[in-house]
Amino acid sequence: MNPFWRWAVGIVAFLFVAAFAGLSYMAGSPKDAYGMVRYALPHMHRGTLKVGSDAPDARLVALDGTSHFHIRERTGARPLVLLFGSFT
Amino acid sequence: MGDVVQIYEDYKDHADFLTVYVREAHPTDEWQMKSNLKDDVCYAQPKTLQQRVMIANDFTKRFKFPLPFGIDDMSNAANDAYAAWPERIYIIDESGRIAYRGGMGPFNYKPAEAREWLAARYGAVKHEAPKSPPAAAPAATATTGATAPAPTVSPSPAPAASAK
Repeated sequence: MNPFWRWAVGIVAFLFVAAFAGLSYMAGSPKDAYGMVRYALPHMHRGTLKVGSDAPDARLVALDGTSHFHIRERTGARPLVLLFGSFT
Repeated sequence: MGDVVQIYEDYKDHADFLTVYVREAHPTDEWQMKSNLKDDVCYAQPKTLQQRVMIANDFTKRFKFPLPFGIDDMSNAANDAYAAWPERIYIIDESGRIAYRGGMGPFNYKPAEAREWLAARYGAVKHEAPKSPPAAAPAATATTGATAPAPTVSPSPAPAASAK
């Protein structure tokens, strides 16, 4: 391997380790950094909706697990505050 | 979450609310959080709708969560349409358009912004418990409205000090 490639590989490896160390610090621990990269970032999206966009509809399941309703059934008469989340 | 319930209580006469349960953020088989271990909120990522329904019911029962509730099905249609995961807030106005678009959670999940939108329309709701004196008393004692919380605590250390 010539010196150029040795340096190139060394610098890339250093940047990778530095990025992981930085992310670990931000996230709290190396395990959290891994979790963020592996499980969080692929699912986080900015989305294309803007203020003024038509609100998309989706069919939801009620807490009873069997009946359904649509988000757009709940809009019209009054503003609808729509909150997304999970337990954990 | 307490913020959200408070906003609901303050503005439910003016606006409708809907909570949508989407895929878990920190399940045991993915990126689990220590805080969830401590609070005993330990679930694997649901693989079936039944599992999602079960967790959603655990959540609403545990916190007696008063907001209307819906569950995103396994196609994740609502999540995809609204780029919702892990948590996010929107307000849809009467014409069916997005009136407020909250940022991506967790860092840009800001219920206070949704409250501001509602307050701009329907007026701010003031609360009894003042936020201003930070050092005076912890929030728990402030909300009970006890006029003199200090004396109830002092009797035990006072005799001990005087005895020596």
